[in-house]
Amino acid sequence: MTLLLLAAALTLYLAAAGLLAASFAGGRAAAPRGPLLVVVAGLAAHAAGLAAFTLQWNEPPLVGLGPSLATFAFLIGVFLVAALLVAEARPLALVLAPLIAVLLAAGLVVGVAPSGDAPAFQAPWFSLHVVLAFVGYAGLAVASAAGLLYVLQFRQLRDKHFGRAFRYFPPLSTLDGVGRRALVIGFPALTAAILLGAGWTLRFREVAVISEPKVVWAVATWFVFVGVLMARRGGAGSDRRGALASVIGFVLVVLAYLVVRLTMGTGSTFL
Amino acid sequence: MPITVVGISHHTAPLEVREALAMSPERSLAALRALTDAGHAREAVVVSTCNRTELYLETERVLTEPTPFGARFLTEQAGLLGALDAGFFYTRQGRDAVEHLFRVVSSLDSMILGEAQIQGQVKAAYELAVHADPRPVGPVLARLFESSLGVGGRVRHDTALGKGAASIPSAAVALARKIFGSLRGRHAVVIGAGEMSALALECLAAEGIASLVVANRTEARARELAARFGGRSASVEELPALLAQAEIVATATSAPHHVLTRAMLEEVHPDGPRKPLLIVDIALPRDVEPTVGAIPNVFLYDIDDMQQVVEGTLEKRRSEVAVAERIIADGRDDFWRWYRSRSAVPVIRALRTQAEDIRRAETERALRALAHLPEEDRARVEVLTRQLMNKVLHAPTARLKEAVGEQPDADVLEAARYLFDLPDEDQVSDDAPHPPAAGGGERDPSGPAAAAPDRLASDGGEQGSQGAA
Repeated sequence: MTLLLLAAALTLYLAAAGLLAASFAGGRAAAPRGPLLVVVAGLAAHAAGLAAFTLQWNEPPLVGLGPSLATFAFLIGVFLVAALLVAEARPLALVLAPLIAVLLAAGLVVGVAPSGDAPAFQAPWFSLHVVLAFVGYAGLAVASAAGLLYVLQFRQLRDKHFGRAFRYFPPLSTLDGVGRRALVIGFPALTAAILLGAGWTLRFREVAVISEPKVVWAVATWFVFVGVLMARRGGAGSDRRGALASVIGFVLVVLAYLVVRLTMGTGSTFL
Repeated sequence: MPITVVGISHHTAPLEVREALAMSPERSLAALRALTDAGHAREAVVVSTCNRTELYLETERVLTEPTPFGARFLTEQAGLLGALDAGFFYTRQGRDAVEHLFRVVSSLDSMILGEAQIQGQVKAAYELAVHADPRPVGPVLARLFESSLGVGGRVRHDTALGKGAASIPSAAVALARKIFGSLRGRHAVVIGAGEMSALALECLAAEGIASLVVANRTEARARELAARFGGRSASVEELPALLAQAEIVATATSAPHHVLTRAMLEEVHPDGPRKPLLIVDIALPRDVEPTVGAIPNVFLYDIDDMQQVVEGTLEKRRSEVAVAERIIADGRDDFWRWYRSRSAVPVIRALRTQAEDIRRAETERALRALAHLPEEDRARVEVLTRQLMNKVLHAPTARLKEAVGEQPDADVLEAARYLFDLPDEDQVSDDAPHPPAAGGGERDPSGPAAAAPDRLASDGGEQGSQGAA
């Protein structure tokens, strides 16, 4: 049931991404509403899939690469829908729907099943720690999508190219607002997740293991967040700088994950 | 072809002619009265905008010389001395007149393809006629205008014909929206107090700008203009202070030199403005030094750039025309089927009258022979015979309407008269609707009817088939 629901969600995300890409390629003046309803339907199937996982395995889908990716993808979807509720930023889905689909597909390929039997992982505060960390990463992902569209729209406006992208992409101020809100939610969430993780380690292991791959990655992401937020502070063109920093920051976080995974992550339950 | 449109538009007449013939609502009402009182038309609507003045007429008989008639009528209504060149005027009749109105309402015939105002203007013209006393709109033009507004709405909803910016001021607003989103609460400065500045102010005020400042060398003129749009005035000496606050700057002076220089802006924003600054230069020669556009976070656009936005919009709109044409063709055919089916009304009326006469006579005869029946049963017999008659006549009635709605000739009506032995049309009703003909288009003024200008005549050729059976 879990796999069926997640596969249905993946299909819906892919369909939405395809429809949005077609509307953009077709030169429409704005992103249509239809694909966004498909994203919402995908999100509903996705939520049902994650709930089915929890019932099936008697633990939340937070441990192991497959379940983690599925949950992370879901949270990005929640961020996307929330962003669409507060701003006219439908074209964000043009970037985020494929990203969600790729993450969920990767999770399904790896296998959406628990990878370990650590009882401590079932504790509620542990779930909170992981969910907060995912919220942080999802916030950065959404900020980077908004940043990417901002940079592209900025170029259209500066270079006076009033074509397809100019018409389709949202205004700069809208994209800036979405990016700022995503960072404002994501950064405290990641900070709290790191503090909770550190507390848990000290409480149960009585020693802080800072060389663990997930700790290295989380701390690296936290510094990226700080860099992105610093880039948005003061001075001329801070909006554009912040948008660019969000894009570069997200790329750095993904690269950091790959480096950590390849060099340190073998056998880790989280990574 | 009793539906006729005759008029002038931007396609056929220069601005001064269109201006001269344009009608205010009061003059439109007077024209409507003149048309119906003189018996020129049974129904009439006048559509008058800055780009067209058109008479939509539903006449007793086909107008043989509609163009000279329209030219003379409109010239008289405008109080002009001497005749205008008939070449300024055009005529569409029948199906072509219907299609013309649908194209007008859908803004396919507009100077700026897809402009939004025309639908409201046609609606206002129609409503003016509907509320006039005596009312010059009857069932035909009412249906025609309602249908056209429906078609116009569908074109706007189902195509992107009305989307995007299609004029210089609206292009400037579109650019501003792409930077700032909503313009509500923004701060704008307009430099200059001429006609283009007024246009820019009008557009900005309509967007809910928080503060509008008009800066001009002659402050009195700036004050006057600012007062019109709820802004405040300033002198050009205050420009540096204004630029420090402004998010949108529109310049439209007639100065032969640059009013806004890079040095001036760099003095206000040494590292460039913190938030985006939009500068729209709609002056010729340009008011803003082109290198201002190189300052970080400054978006500078001149008339050519805005023309590019307009062209992009129009190109997109042009690609939607084929879809709009299909919607219009469907609407025109629907209307035309209904209109043609009206020519079956006299025959249907005669058929039903005859059937009812027979039913009543036969029922009375039968009931006389059944005098013993109680009142309740006699009533049942009445109902039964009426129901039988209705059921028997339902199919021929529907088929008659359908046949004349679909086919260009009216042989089927003659056949019905012959088969049911119905009386001639003029013996049935004096106000029978006129059957339309299939064609349309501009009537040839050199045709046989040209010998009798400015008169209404029957069209023997196209109405001949409607004669007595």
